Amino acid sequence: MAWIAERRRRSRFESVVLPHLDAAYALARWLTRNDADAADVVQEAMLRAFRYFDTYREGDARSWTLRIVRRTCYSWLERNRPADVVPLDDEEVLDEGDANGPVAAGNTEALLQNRSDLRRLDALIEALPAPLREAIVLRELHELGYRAIAEITGVPIGTVMSRLHRARSALRRGWDGKDIGDAV
Amino acid sequence: MQCDEIRPRLEAYLDGELAETERAAVHDHLADCPECGPETVALQRLREGIRRSAPTYRSPEALRSQIRFALRQEAAASARQTRPAPGWLAYAASILLAVAVGSGGTFLITGERQEDAVANELIDSHLRSLLGSHLTDVASSDQHTVKPWFAGRTDVSPPAVDLAAEGFPLVGGRLDLIAGKPVPALVYRRREHVINVFVLPASHGDLGTTLSRRGYSLRHWKEGDLGFWAVTDAAPSELAEFERVFRVVTKG
Repeated sequence: MAWIAERRRRSRFESVVLPHLDAAYALARWLTRNDADAADVVQEAMLRAFRYFDTYREGDARSWTLRIVRRTCYSWLERNRPADVVPLDDEEVLDEGDANGPVAAGNTEALLQNRSDLRRLDALIEALPAPLREAIVLRELHELGYRAIAEITGVPIGTVMSRLHRARSALRRGWDGKDIGDAV
Repeated sequence: MQCDEIRPRLEAYLDGELAETERAAVHDHLADCPECGPETVALQRLREGIRRSAPTYRSPEALRSQIRFALRQEAAASARQTRPAPGWLAYAASILLAVAVGSGGTFLITGERQEDAVANELIDSHLRSLLGSHLTDVASSDQHTVKPWFAGRTDVSPPAVDLAAEGFPLVGGRLDLIAGKPVPALVYRRREHVINVFVLPASHGDLGTTLSRRGYSLRHWKEGDLGFWAVTDAAPSELAEFERVFRVVTKG
């Protein structure tokens, strides 16, 4: 009977994928920067994941789930806030001192420094361009390794490393370091 | 290793991504290099700062149960797909709609019972659009993309206006087969809710109120030769608001 098979599929999905719902929500929340939108995206992503569940092979269910959540985030952003998904225009540049570097680095820097409310690191992270933001969030907050981040974001490990480096450099420039002091 | 070899590896070292031999080399270097040491401390401080100041986002409980509910519906829908035949009511509705769609404006659907039949047919269509992977055939918030897409596919040319500024972004358009006829549907969003607007040749005056059927809200109105049926699971008041802004903007 079709419905028995469907029920089995659903309960397997619930035990494999739903444990990663918090991680999924956190990634969507960082990418959409808004609670209501994150909830929309996660729900859409979960239904999508359920539909594609047959393509899931034994392995890292968290990365598999986050990859779908991320893709859903980007297509949601393209539909609703296309300005948020402008790609990095100097992707290969590892070092910001390079020929193409100053322009794009300047953009990120200007973005971070021209806003006086950006004293706190969480606000600084939110202000990063999406590709840098997702790299730093997956590394520092989801505590994932380079390989997993590369898989989720669909780029080579070298690109993950350069994005992390750029994200950290931008955060260090914008941050006055008081966060730790405040918290201690 | 020298400093200029160490620096590019510092972050990978702190991220625990270096192979053992490299890791040991960086470790030894840091122990007595006066310049790389402080750099390492700064990177570590940044990591601590991020972990302290970034909020820990967790899925709200309501979202979790909403997702479980949606999964149950989805599973039930795909189990049903193998079964044929809608109920007699939908069949009756399809005949009525066929008349309405086919006669292009003849006033045939009247009275509450027929209204219910139409409502049921459209709610089924709305549900199918949410459950399948088929919310839109053309996904765009640009009316100059959505409107031409319908040309040649249907007799009616639906006014695809984006209402993002009014809080109802246009998501795209879709062609539904209703009573064997292609019927254009415009797809809008209201936060997490979808609003499907089916566009038929007008056969009906304005409904003026919001119908509630099976937990969904429906409104119908007429503009020129076109009849609009809007279906959603958003609140009835929001659907009334949608009708209002849609009419204002399409009248332009």
